[in-house]
Amino acid sequence: MEKKARPRPERETLMAREIYRMERDRARFKDVVRGRIRRDLRRYLSSSDLVGKQGDKVVSIPVPSIELPRFRFGSSEGGVGQGSGDEGEPVEGQGGEEGQGGEAGEQAGEHVLEAEVELEELAAMLGEELELPRIEPRGKDELLVEGGRWSGVRSQGPQSLRHFRRTYRRALARTIASGAFDPDHPVVTPVRDDERFRARRPAPKPESSAVVFHMMDVSGSMGREQKEIVRIEAFWIDTWLRSQYESLEVVYIVHDATAKVVDKDTFFHLRESGGTKISSAYELLLDLVRTRFRAEDYNIYPFHYSDGDNWSARDTDRCVTLLREELLPRVNQFCYGQVKSAYGSGQFKKDLDLGFSEEERLVTAGVSDRSGIPDAIKAFLGQGR
Amino acid sequence: MVSGPSLPPRLMQAALRAEEAAVAAGLSFFEVVFEMLDAADVNAVAAYGGFPTRYPSWRFGMEYERLSRGYDWGLSKIYELVINHDPTIAYLVRSNSVMEQKLVMAHVFGHADFFRNNAWFKVTDRRMLERFDEHARRVNEHTARLGADRVETFLDRALSLEPLMDPHAPLARSRTAMARQGSGRLSNSLAERSRRELGRLMGDGDPDRGPEAQVEVAGGRPTFDIVRFLLRHADLEPWERDVLGIVSAEAEYFMPQRMTKIINEGWASFWHSRLLTEGLLDASEVVEFADCHSGATQTAPGQLNPYKLGIDLFRHAERQGMDLFRLRAVHNDVSFVDAVLDEEFVRCSSLFVMGRTDRRGGRKIGTRDPAQVKESLLQSLSWGGQPRIRLSSVDDGRLLLEHLHDGRDLKLDEAGEMLRTIETLWKRGVELRTEEKGDGRRLICRGGELQLLSTGNGPVPGALPAAEGERESA
Repeated sequence: MEKKARPRPERETLMAREIYRMERDRARFKDVVRGRIRRDLRRYLSSSDLVGKQGDKVVSIPVPSIELPRFRFGSSEGGVGQGSGDEGEPVEGQGGEEGQGGEAGEQAGEHVLEAEVELEELAAMLGEELELPRIEPRGKDELLVEGGRWSGVRSQGPQSLRHFRRTYRRALARTIASGAFDPDHPVVTPVRDDERFRARRPAPKPESSAVVFHMMDVSGSMGREQKEIVRIEAFWIDTWLRSQYESLEVVYIVHDATAKVVDKDTFFHLRESGGTKISSAYELLLDLVRTRFRAEDYNIYPFHYSDGDNWSARDTDRCVTLLREELLPRVNQFCYGQVKSAYGSGQFKKDLDLGFSEEERLVTAGVSDRSGIPDAIKAFLGQGR
Repeated sequence: MVSGPSLPPRLMQAALRAEEAAVAAGLSFFEVVFEMLDAADVNAVAAYGGFPTRYPSWRFGMEYERLSRGYDWGLSKIYELVINHDPTIAYLVRSNSVMEQKLVMAHVFGHADFFRNNAWFKVTDRRMLERFDEHARRVNEHTARLGADRVETFLDRALSLEPLMDPHAPLARSRTAMARQGSGRLSNSLAERSRRELGRLMGDGDPDRGPEAQVEVAGGRPTFDIVRFLLRHADLEPWERDVLGIVSAEAEYFMPQRMTKIINEGWASFWHSRLLTEGLLDASEVVEFADCHSGATQTAPGQLNPYKLGIDLFRHAERQGMDLFRLRAVHNDVSFVDAVLDEEFVRCSSLFVMGRTDRRGGRKIGTRDPAQVKESLLQSLSWGGQPRIRLSSVDDGRLLLEHLHDGRDLKLDEAGEMLRTIETLWKRGVELRTEEKGDGRRLICRGGELQLLSTGNGPVPGALPAAEGERESA
């Protein structure tokens, strides 16, 4: 026996309304997430929660406290499982993922929600929180217009730039179309209209590209926590600069007594031991700035992190000279972050502060622990340079 | 009694056949209305708890994000949704294959039978569709009048308190009401016996103490119905009372589903398996059915799948010669497991108690001792898996809550948040008594300030629960 159900159109409007409402609830949820991140931004600034979670455009942020509070059991210990194995054997294959249905009756453990936030938005929050000014790129006239690439084609130009293949192809097509082509006597004569010339494609505007150099002292005195601080700082600095420039390149340099360019992963995990010769890093930097990342093409932001112990006063003098004569004239701003370690004397920052008290382009900041990270970032990026 | 205005004729035919088979097998249900939805819309409906109109809340958006991500990443897929209602509403997913739809329909009739005949659902309101609609309308009115922020803040608080109810109270209230009407029929019913059984199982004191005693609070008797207590006695504005009432009513409606996950899914799976293999399947569909069924009942190592556990318990009960229809009529998860699970079952199903978590977060097989397995399972199921928090008395305007400790400590930082929330509603102090590592604790909230004392009033070594916003990520 079939009963007439509600007429169909009404149900469909009901459904449509619901999907519209879901959009609203989702939008509100995203707002709540943003609000939470904004509220907790200082905490995120000094924690490694976000580091390593950024994709191309978005960061996934763990938002632990977004769920409503409840009376909950403290540990997810105990409970009943199912499967083969002897007593005492480890339970295999726990991904921590919620399976179908999850554990019966048990709270599904710690429910950490990951929310995706666009990098740009995160940078905007950072800017707001630390009151960072927008960066003013160096004036256009200071930067040479780059040559661009000869990848375009146009119909006019000097004979020396004539694109032979394109010209010939057009001429051939025209000859065939006009019926004058004779396969036995394949003579093709280009006329003026067939000619094509190579042309220059405009390159990306130079003032919109920037390069960041992260240089880190990996000598024996830099411990795990010091590197973690560097890592967190580097993440936020990249996030901010990325929002300010159309394209941002990042170069990682590590040094102890010698310096080398490394990839990102190595940068954060390498542990060397040995002496410290800071000038080695600065010389490598200078080399790169002279050749690959010329000041004419890039806005240049070197960041150097160390615990402030240099090998010798003579090497420090060498660094000061390098900075004054070669590096500072070429870069937008040079930042030195000194991470406090158990062994570092912290002398290098004093030397720099003394040597460059008048120089605006050199910024130094001391970070004693994680809670100092926001202030260091503010010192580095608060100049708007 | 089945209809499906949006079903294509072929599926409608399958629905009629499934219904015929279900009725022949002895299942009984209200009219079942099938609705077809796209996968994305099913996630939306599921996020709303199956009801098309709910009040606005970001939490539905969050649930939707979670479900649709699970779907996008291929981790989870919703095959069907069945709503406890008269008529019973079942949502099918358009992308299912014909065989899957057949399976889902048989499964739906299992749920529909359970909703209609299980004692715990007898007291639920089967006309909730309109009530949810009405609730949404009222919350929207408050929002229009008072602003979204105020209403949302209060709604979030109310939702946070939502679990503080007595899952047995609705049944008890209905019994009381019936007794007052001079019909004591229910007092000796199976449901009542089941309730007593449950009380005994959970060591809830004197099983003969009538539930009415717990419902009446003002006289100083302890109650688990903290939300109802606040509704009645807290100094709330009328709109706040309205919102809290809405949340409480909706929680009450959903509560039986939380308490019957294993038995309900087990019942539905038992029947979809039986109905399909005994006639509904075409020979060509057998392999696909086996694949789909085993997917739904597979267990990840170290986890319990309610579908699997439930169907196995019913099959075990059938082998023991138990009356399956009676089991589904009187039990919830706890009493069902208690009634059916025995040594043989523990052994055949390879159940074990999870051992201590080691430092790296790995878990190991603790023990396979049947008694311990059963005890541990019952414990994790009791009270819907929630800590039992009881309002023991009101002392000089201050609420005294009591955590009935069963060996599992509370998360004290979150408990502190809860006390803050309760205090904003109650407006006077709140205190919770609990235990931590075997020692008595008093968690006190006064004026938003938290204080943790040992029972002897001395300070507790170690840190106070973190204040709001300072909670560490785990």
